[in-house]
Amino acid sequence: MTKPILEVKDLAKYFGGVKALDGVTLEVPERGVIGLIGPNGSGKTTLFNVVTGFYVPTRGEVWYAGERIDGLNPNEVFLKGLVRTFQIPRLFPSLTVLENVLLTPPRQVGERVLTAPFRSKWEKQEKELARKAVALLRKFGLGEYVRARVSELSAAHMKMIETIRGLITDARVYLLDEPAAGVAYTTARELFTFIKRLRDEEGLTFFIIEHRLEVLMDFVDYVYVLHNGRLLSEGKPDEVMSDPKVIEAYIGR
Amino acid sequence: MLPSFDILGFLVSWGTFLGIYAILAISLNLEVGLTGMANFGKVAFYGIGAYLAASLSVYTVLAVYHVAAAPYTTEGIIALGKYGGASPALDLGIFAASLMLGFIIAGCVGYLLTYPTLRVGPAFLGITLLAFGELLRIFLLNYQPLGASKGLSGIPHPFLWIPDPVLRERLYVLVVLGFLAVTLWFAERITNSPFGRVLKAVRDDEVAALCMGKHVPRVKATVLFIGSGMAGVAGVLLAFYMSSVNPNMFVPAVTFNIWAMVILGGMGNNKGAVVGAAIITFVDRILTFITPNLGITIITPDYIRWMIVGILIVLVLMFMPGGLVPEKPIKTPAWEAVESLEKESKEGGSGGGEA
Ligand SMILES: Nc1ncnc2c1ncn2[C@@H]1O[C@H](COP(=O)(O)OP(=O)(O)OP(=O)(O)O)[C@@H](O)[C@H]1O
Ligand SMILES: [Mg+2]
Repeated sequence: MTKPILEVKDLAKYFGGVKALDGVTLEVPERGVIGLIGPNGSGKTTLFNVVTGFYVPTRGEVWYAGERIDGLNPNEVFLKGLVRTFQIPRLFPSLTVLENVLLTPPRQVGERVLTAPFRSKWEKQEKELARKAVALLRKFGLGEYVRARVSELSAAHMKMIETIRGLITDARVYLLDEPAAGVAYTTARELFTFIKRLRDEEGLTFFIIEHRLEVLMDFVDYVYVLHNGRLLSEGKPDEVMSDPKVIEAYIGR
Repeated sequence: MLPSFDILGFLVSWGTFLGIYAILAISLNLEVGLTGMANFGKVAFYGIGAYLAASLSVYTVLAVYHVAAAPYTTEGIIALGKYGGASPALDLGIFAASLMLGFIIAGCVGYLLTYPTLRVGPAFLGITLLAFGELLRIFLLNYQPLGASKGLSGIPHPFLWIPDPVLRERLYVLVVLGFLAVTLWFAERITNSPFGRVLKAVRDDEVAALCMGKHVPRVKATVLFIGSGMAGVAGVLLAFYMSSVNPNMFVPAVTFNIWAMVILGGMGNNKGAVVGAAIITFVDRILTFITPNLGITIITPDYIRWMIVGILIVLVLMFMPGGLVPEKPIKTPAWEAVESLEKESKEGGSGGGEA
């Protein structure tokens, strides 16, 4: 594999007595599509939360592109080029689908209060972004929802848009928390096909939490398995799926 | 019916209050309606603007004319009356300086107050600001250099050198409405921009906005700077119109009055804020104009006024939950780009969809 772009070293996060993460070390290579699986409550979302600056780790380090990023605020992590999505979609309900996508690019000229009143200063950028956003939505079969309010969307579409809106930025690493949850099987496969295409064509990196292994396993290069806040197993999809420890953790205790 | 009713005089007086209150309502709408920050201390920034204008003007006039008396003493007030209209350049200069300083100082206080509270949590913001407003009023009630409970009077009207008081008031209403126009223009422009999009995102879901790389505390502090600055300007305009200020003009009820305007007009819509301000100041002005003619003694006009405002709000919200002018989607050039794309793909014929 190529050099890692994201590294997690001996990462721990305790909530009182709950050891949500307890010494996890893993790496995500550049241009990888890497899976993160594990039973409910195994610490997957917590790992994302620590990596993206929501929580300060109890112990351990997070490195991104050669820089230590643990302790940064979520907005700073985003600006480094790390985008996340949420397990329960968090779109902005009073904005349209297009605006939800348009909000994503950082440091827009028109987002500064002193330039905002003067349309001519940001009109060109805004239109360019709009064209990019529409192209992105169309590419993904969501062209008809450009003008829709988020509240008019199905849960599946919300998930998709949450993933897509990160793609308008030049961020390089995407942390997706269960992108295929609540999405129809064929749509989920489309989504993952699209993700692979983005990796191949744009050189993006994906780190994906997913419960739907039947979809995930066909698309990822490598998988990490968490269990009770620790790394239980890792490897190529078929290796992991045939690992007795993984089977046991998933089937019962 | 009411032979003493002077329609033009009424319009001038209504227009002045409308202008001042609409600026306040627009500023509150930016904070509450668009960014979701419940500011219960709006009156404080209004008061800062008014007291800044009052103190700056009376102390400057007394200093320029070498009057040793303090502005709140009888000699001081007499001197202010004597020298007030003596120099057009001085009066206009004081007015301009007050407007600028009123915006900057009220804005900075808003900014500084919110920075610590933004870190504590959103619920604390409203309460902190409410408490700050009351603290400020109690301070003013007791601070002698600013006239304590009697306040300051003899503030020189910027057009005091014009002998005809009617013409003076007519000119002043135009100035106030001019400021309203600029405020509305600015508010509408920033609402319909990428900045406005960020504000609505912060209102909808702060945490998600943070994750999208937006510096939420800075966004909020910026809005409070602007909103407080606008309220400061409104206060300056009030002080020069009334020619006197006192602490009882800045009770918490003023804040709730502005809230009523925003709710009535439509949360999240700047034009709605103006409509709400127009309606409520109209009720106010009508009541003050007609009460002397009615001779009501049992119920005070203030009582009737709050009843009317309450009934209006209940009725409007029953039938129009979004207010009289509900929030509108953000308009940016993005939609023009979308329209031209949609036209292109239609002209492209049946090949649309996958390219
Ligand atoms: N903020 C918090 N405070 C206290 N405990 C927490 C917090 N966040 C997570 N936990 C606990 O940490 C453990 C791991 O939770 P986490 O959400 O990371 O699991 P997960 O692997 O994402 O599960 P799922 O598959 O259900 O999404 C759980 O026991 C959870 O209750
Ligand atoms: Mg989870």
